[in-house]
Amino acid sequence: MFTIEKPLPRGTEDTAPFWEAALRGELRMQRCSSCGHIRFPPATLCPRCWSETYEWSLLSGKGKVFSWVVVYQSQHPAFNADTPYNVAIVELEEGPRLHTQLVDCSLEEIRLEMPVEVVFEKVRDDVALPKFRPRR
Amino acid sequence: MVELRGKYAIAGVGLSRFGKVPGTSTMGFTLEASKRAVEDAGVPMSEVDGVLVLMPAVMGEQHGWAARVAAYLGLEPSFCTTLDMGGATACGAVQVAMAAIEAGYCSTVLCAFATQNWPQGVPLQLFGSELQLAYGDVGAMCLMGHIKRRQQYEYGLPDELYGRIAVTWRSHAQRHPEAQMRKPMTLEDYFRSRWVVEPLRLFDCCPNTDGGGAIVVTSLERARDLRRPVVRVIGAGQSHSAEMIEPARTAREQWGGTAAARRAYSMAGIVPNDLSCAQIYDAFTPRVVHDLVAYQLAAPEELNGAFANGTFTFGGRLPCNTAGGLLSEGHLSGFGHVREAVRQLRGECGERQLPDAKLCLVTGYGGAPHEAPPTVSYSALVLARDV
Repeated sequence: MFTIEKPLPRGTEDTAPFWEAALRGELRMQRCSSCGHIRFPPATLCPRCWSETYEWSLLSGKGKVFSWVVVYQSQHPAFNADTPYNVAIVELEEGPRLHTQLVDCSLEEIRLEMPVEVVFEKVRDDVALPKFRPRR
Repeated sequence: MVELRGKYAIAGVGLSRFGKVPGTSTMGFTLEASKRAVEDAGVPMSEVDGVLVLMPAVMGEQHGWAARVAAYLGLEPSFCTTLDMGGATACGAVQVAMAAIEAGYCSTVLCAFATQNWPQGVPLQLFGSELQLAYGDVGAMCLMGHIKRRQQYEYGLPDELYGRIAVTWRSHAQRHPEAQMRKPMTLEDYFRSRWVVEPLRLFDCCPNTDGGGAIVVTSLERARDLRRPVVRVIGAGQSHSAEMIEPARTAREQWGGTAAARRAYSMAGIVPNDLSCAQIYDAFTPRVVHDLVAYQLAAPEELNGAFANGTFTFGGRLPCNTAGGLLSEGHLSGFGHVREAVRQLRGECGERQLPDAKLCLVTGYGGAPHEAPPTVSYSALVLARDV
């Protein structure tokens, strides 16, 4: 049968270090060497001071649920079989927010501001997605 | 800054056929709406020397879209460009048109848009970035769901509020023979509608609409020579922000669109209480909540009671979305809102005509809700009946 594969990240010059870190089991984001701001999404310059120098800083992986939704009507055929599934936005302790998914909990257990921690789900040999589970 | 207040007018508005209209084309609708707007204005086609067209997202990357529309219309504009602010474009295009005329680039500007949701010969595009698609966060509905979630959390807004918005606009569409969604709706119907992307129910979402709209902008002097009652543009404003993901703050800290509102009211020299009516960009019910607050038309905690007591319907303090809005009239990217505002101010709305409509706010919202970060534009017009 013809199956449509989920759109997995291929990475670019800007984002590859984020995905490579995830594959090693690390959550890393760019910390501006000039002003210290940790930015996300990845970009070649800092949105606060426009400095182009930065380091890929290791983050705690801890945060809280800023928002979540439950997709009942799939918007892409590769996700049809997953419905209903959650998509969340997590706010990290260090400040940035990212799109992600919550795992190891039922849809009914999800709450706003719920403390969560990162886990890495290997979806292919060369790709791991940062996801989050409740901190117990 | 050059004072543009009241120097320009919307001389003509038009919509094509719209709804679920299979077998049609995006270009066909664009031409149909454009002709209707230019005929409504009563200007000869040779006078149209500016063309601004909203890029319909479903068409993917189409080079020279506005120039192609102009070519199909047989026009040779001296100023012509494609605009890309999604649902903020209808209001934004009017603002660009005024600036272009003021600069002397052109004198009469056609602003147009159409879409056919299942176009031929265009590969279906999957919008979104690698940072969210992998998680199944696809399309505008996920962002709107997040926005509704945060609104309800930060302001304690009840589910009934969103139902009342959908039900109120639907009742307006019953006074509008062209509206796409006219079947009566009750609060019970709303609560029975299925989850699409929880917390959004089906009736929190507008329908897909095939069709288009157009607006003709010209100088106040020229408009006064034409046959229609004149509608002046006295205020315009825009603002742009990233939402939900850095650098956006919480809804409370950074309520997108407040700057667009401040700019539009300040240019118009009015306060929100002066308005006779408003057309709020409402592809989803949470947008109505957002704009009513951002444009200082209500405080969040007043909203549920205000919808319950009829504040925003016919006979209320500020009737809004009098044609049913995107939720019930149909999604014409805000061109329907501009047409409705103009026709209310001209007194052409028949069974849904407001008595003595003098000042109308129109809001727009759009961009890339499906990107990381979600980036959106807010735009607004304050339109006034010429006296």
